[in-house]
Amino acid sequence: MFSMEETKEQGDADFDPVIEAYKKDIDVTLIRENLRLTVDQRFQQLMKLQQFAEELRRAGSEAREK
Amino acid sequence: MTDFNALLRILTENKVEFIIVGGAAATALGSARLTFDLDIVYNRSKENIERIVNALQATTPYLRGAPPGLPFSWDVQTVERGLNFTLTTTLGPLDILGEIVGGGGYEQLRSKTITVEIAGTECLSLNLESLIQVKRAAGRPKDLEVIAELQRIRDESRQ
Repeated sequence: MFSMEETKEQGDADFDPVIEAYKKDIDVTLIRENLRLTVDQRFQQLMKLQQFAEELRRAGSEAREK
Repeated sequence: MTDFNALLRILTENKVEFIIVGGAAATALGSARLTFDLDIVYNRSKENIERIVNALQATTPYLRGAPPGLPFSWDVQTVERGLNFTLTTTLGPLDILGEIVGGGGYEQLRSKTITVEIAGTECLSLNLESLIQVKRAAGRPKDLEVIAELQRIRDESRQ
């Protein structure tokens, strides 16, 4: 089942019910935050996230070895 | 960590003609997804292949996932004989693509780009509609969520 808004979109050439199902789980607040940033700020944030992910991996790996 | 700033800077400083695609292009457009590599489509002209080979030489490119010791020489001949390369470099993983499914090569994609500035470097990045199109064409299950997010970005941008 799709909402009224989504049903209206069915006239769009790229309407795909599978994609619509995935769209429901997208956190729009994160997108809104990102759209407020410049492209450069988005990339600097991405690199910080990468660094954080790598630190988490390392910590996880160390914890498993104990 | 992938040093996007440094990779883009050396490509631009060496006048390599390229377009950012994939997850990094999605980041430029506002995606909140974490991506670990830089994907670019490069112009396959002889001059540009020479430029990209020279630009990346100092980053010791090697085939990602290939066993150590595999004979691989990063030179003009190698790039001319191949098309798409998934590389490790000292600045992070880098995919250099001669063509992408649903988009074609550099010349086909050139008119479907936006100019973005990253760390003081201006470069071309695939626009939103074209990124959605190539992700759809790729037809990979893992891209479904990416397409959904890109469409949400489009919805938000229209408001």
